[in-house]
Amino acid sequence: MSLSTSEKVESIEAIEQSAGANNSDIPHISEGLSYNLPDKPVVTIEATKSWVPLNLRALWAYRELLYFLMWRDIKVRYKQTVLGAAWAVIQPLVTMIIFTYFFGKLAKLPTDGVPYPIFVYAALLLWTFFSNGVTSGANSLIGNSNLITKVYFPRLIIPSAAVGAGLLDFAIASVLLVGLLVYYGFSVTWAYLMILPLIVLTTMFALGVGIWFSALNVRYRDVRYALPFLIQVWFFVTPIIYPSSLVPEEWRWVLNLNPLTGLVEFFRASLFGTELPWLPIGYTAAFTVIMLVYASYTFRRMERAFAEFI
Amino acid sequence: MKPIITVEALSKKFHINPSESPSVRYETLRESLVKSLRAPFTRNRHNGKRDDTIWALKDVNFEVLPGEVMGIIGPNGAGKSTLLKVLSRIIEPTSGRVELFGRVASLLEVGTGFHPDLSGRENVYLNGAILGMRRREINARFDEIVAFAEVEKFIDTAVKHYSSGMYIRLAFAVAAHLDPEILIVDEVLAVGDARFQKKCLGKMDDVTQSGRTVLLVTHGLIMVTQLCRRAILFNGGRIAKMGSAEEVVNHYEAMVRSSQAEP
Repeated sequence: MSLSTSEKVESIEAIEQSAGANNSDIPHISEGLSYNLPDKPVVTIEATKSWVPLNLRALWAYRELLYFLMWRDIKVRYKQTVLGAAWAVIQPLVTMIIFTYFFGKLAKLPTDGVPYPIFVYAALLLWTFFSNGVTSGANSLIGNSNLITKVYFPRLIIPSAAVGAGLLDFAIASVLLVGLLVYYGFSVTWAYLMILPLIVLTTMFALGVGIWFSALNVRYRDVRYALPFLIQVWFFVTPIIYPSSLVPEEWRWVLNLNPLTGLVEFFRASLFGTELPWLPIGYTAAFTVIMLVYASYTFRRMERAFAEFI
Repeated sequence: MKPIITVEALSKKFHINPSESPSVRYETLRESLVKSLRAPFTRNRHNGKRDDTIWALKDVNFEVLPGEVMGIIGPNGAGKSTLLKVLSRIIEPTSGRVELFGRVASLLEVGTGFHPDLSGRENVYLNGAILGMRRREINARFDEIVAFAEVEKFIDTAVKHYSSGMYIRLAFAVAAHLDPEILIVDEVLAVGDARFQKKCLGKMDDVTQSGRTVLLVTHGLIMVTQLCRRAILFNGGRIAKMGSAEEVVNHYEAMVRSSQAEP
């Protein structure tokens, strides 16, 4: 560690020559600075109390980073793949074909009169977006640990970008849905206007669940093992391969406790022109708001220690 | 003159868990349940025998004036990096208060968030955004950054095909074109070959002359005397010496010598 005097002098000279710097060049505090100091600190750093505000303003200030992280996730996802973005269609398409054969043709599950392929594809589309969003959201903090330990920005940006990046896959896979709607001769109705708000609601719910799991995952790596299992169970308790009308009336409310039931059934109803299930979707919307607020606060509370635990 | 950075009674405590090997970096839910059940007993076991906390920073006070370039030196584990991480808002202090009267950019490493599969161009935008630059600012400086890094020809090649020198040059170039009022730098200077190092130091000189406030952590004592007017010496989480760069560096060297003299 210690430098001998001669060595030190030599290396100082070397640097002086190379960088053209020497002590007299270093400015003493200049009086005419190009900016004036604000009266109040721009940033105050203190130990926070257990209750922390959400600070939406900081999130808004970093919206460009959200965009760039989403863009990175999308760009990287299909790099060095031959089929590229076609993968977004292949997954739900192949699943649809298999399900149509087993559940539609062989098991002859009822579909309220809708052809099975489009009945299941519509639900799969929404489900794939949700489950991929939650999974990549939950693993996003761990995957970006290099950012968390080196740079400051609102950490909520990371899982949000991971969930948001799934929207593109959703859009690509929707093309096939439109094709199926045309093929089976469904006509456009006013109910189509409900599709966009429904997608927003689905995104919000995926965000709520993804954010919550991402924070837990930093502290408890059990999430990594529990989540795939949870997702699998969730798939079967959601009316994707079957309609909720399959469940006896008196037990329907149990199925509707699952917020995804409302989303999937409402999506199908608005596509196929059947009666819109307002009560279940109302419950889902309320649940989503609560989940999102709860998840955000949990995240904020745990966020302080992310850099130490990750 | 009003300081741009004030640090008051800043302390940071880390928990070290003696029962866990350092390789276990995370805990599972079961472990924390078990631990909370065992908590009353473990407390007894360790009572008076061993403290499982360590103060990485203890009661640190200092001020930095606008336009000052402050060097921060000290042996490994003195608390330098912890200080930078607290000032960069990556970790939270246990107690105390820091007030920053300007926009902060911190460079704790070069190339944070670089993705190997993305091209040089894409990484400049991504890295710039991560470091807090607006897209507008990056657009305006893009050519300058690429020219500084000397990678014009390869800007649309994935950075995984870059030589390590090219990679580091591009990463440094993005960081060097940040424009905050306060710049926090951790030993990232002097990257690449001798010629590029020269360029980096020159750039660093420009930065210090532009009236920006810089906090510079380094083991390069020469760099401290070269670039900084004042310096702080940390030891064991406390400030051991604060004053002119020359004075503090001398004190540090004397400290190292005396510790070597002891058996």
